[in-house]
Amino acid sequence: MSTALPITGTGTPSQPSPAVRISRAGRTGPIAANTVLAGTTMSLFGLSWDIQWHVDVGPDTFFTLSHLMLYSGSALAGLASLAMVLIATAAQRAGQPVDRFPGGKPVRVFGGVFRAPLGYLITGTGAALFLLFGLLDLWWHSLYGFDAVLDSPPHIGLFLSISFSMVGSVIVFAAARDTRWGRAGVILSIPVLIIFSPITTKAFGALPLPVEPELVGNILFSTLLLITGTLTIGRRGTALTTAATLGVLQLLLWWFSPWAARVYADASGLPLRDNLGDNPPELPSEIPVFMLFAAAAITALLWLSRRRGWSGRIAPQIMGAGGGAVVGLSLPIQSALFGDSGPDPAELLTMTAVGPATGALAGYLAARLAVLLREHSTASLTKGR
Amino acid sequence: MRSSRSPLLLAVASASRRIRGHARQLVLAAAAALALVAVSTAPAAAYAPVGVVHTERVQAGPYAITVGFSEWPLRAMQSLDFTFAPADGVAGKSGTLTLDGPGLDADDRESPLGRHPRKRDVWGLDVQALPEPGTFSFTFDIDGPAGHGRGTLRNVGVLDQPGPPLAISWTVCAIPPVGMLAYLAVGWRRNKPSEKVATLI
Repeated sequence: MSTALPITGTGTPSQPSPAVRISRAGRTGPIAANTVLAGTTMSLFGLSWDIQWHVDVGPDTFFTLSHLMLYSGSALAGLASLAMVLIATAAQRAGQPVDRFPGGKPVRVFGGVFRAPLGYLITGTGAALFLLFGLLDLWWHSLYGFDAVLDSPPHIGLFLSISFSMVGSVIVFAAARDTRWGRAGVILSIPVLIIFSPITTKAFGALPLPVEPELVGNILFSTLLLITGTLTIGRRGTALTTAATLGVLQLLLWWFSPWAARVYADASGLPLRDNLGDNPPELPSEIPVFMLFAAAAITALLWLSRRRGWSGRIAPQIMGAGGGAVVGLSLPIQSALFGDSGPDPAELLTMTAVGPATGALAGYLAARLAVLLREHSTASLTKGR
Repeated sequence: MRSSRSPLLLAVASASRRIRGHARQLVLAAAAALALVAVSTAPAAAYAPVGVVHTERVQAGPYAITVGFSEWPLRAMQSLDFTFAPADGVAGKSGTLTLDGPGLDADDRESPLGRHPRKRDVWGLDVQALPEPGTFSFTFDIDGPAGHGRGTLRNVGVLDQPGPPLAISWTVCAIPPVGMLAYLAVGWRRNKPSEKVATLI
């Protein structure tokens, strides 16, 4: 069913509506995409700040600044997505073609009432879910009291919602991969998701599993996203650039989280906890620090695959196994570096098996996700910008 | 100007007609949600004082300690405040607290005694959850002017968690990710990415 409406003009050339003009403007794509990225990045920094606040200071309310930063990030990403969905819908209703609208392939929503570019649909859905889980979290706190645990069901729901918004931002940028801002956005939005997505694996922390789910999550998401980005953009240096960006984000969070917690404590007249010691910042120290080595392994295996003419049916799994092996072995070494004891030999042995296996699965999925992301290109609209 | 805007206006009018039937419910639902947020968050806007509703006494060598509980009886997974008050104050004293009970991580079992962040004249634990129902004990090792002392508060009972069973909460929270996975599965089936990966490298 066509949802385009007949234009009831008088035959004289008419000026396009504001929505149509915005939808045609070259700057709309990058402005909206970067607004979403700014929102998801705010959520990431807000969460890291909040976790550090709990560790270093303690007292908590619904309206601490770190909570507000976390909420604002989702709100910003959600509002930008809503605006883009409304603009795409209005443009389509004004008879404009929206097949190449920024943000990915437009999807019919509510039987065609709205036309939502896929990336903005996912980001907006994540932001809307964040609101619903926020209400559920309020009810949870009324039963249990304030944030005693990070891995309560509503918290995991909130983290998943933010992850959805971050996935949406990757789709939005990947759709514009033929532009410089699109490629830069992929390289920035993937590290944000690499840092954030393993947090949700805390949901499985209470299960009696042979390997900590967070370790598996770290290997799976970091390898999967590095390879997805590399194969989506199609350039050899993407994995290394993405890993370097991840390192920069880690350094920024490493500085920001304790700094913000302490400045806010000072401003609120609250003391730091006794016996704090010199532990590294909580969330930043869980981000894989040796990702450049994993990216080098992935890049080398991609180069080898192209040189030897290996099929795309097998090469991504090989790249994944190589990258996963490096991440898997590096995680126990990292926790020994930041902790008091040396790496446990039994854990190293386990990770020698878990790393490549998880990485191979990540490579398999990454290749297919890259195919899906490449199909949502808006190349004809954005090329040359 | 009028004619140029008409397609957009028509589009908006058409869309609004389609959702008009639901508009009243949407407004009511939004108002109810906002009211719920306002009511629920009003008391959460300030740092709550530490309320002690029950106390127990422990003798750790020469030191008499009053253990205060913010809730009684205790329930699993609840956010709790504990206060540990030596009879003649915390000045000049230090020590460790060893928790024992079901479901505790190794990291949570032993910790140095530190002042409670919201009640600085005594030691304590804030927003601390005891993970599972059962019997817990609190052991104090204290060094001070009168030497070393050790004492244990035993048989602190913890009841089942409040609220609905965890399985229900997890199921409700799993609906969105399952929906997302189903959406991805539909897209996967339609686009058949496996048939196109061969040319990816």
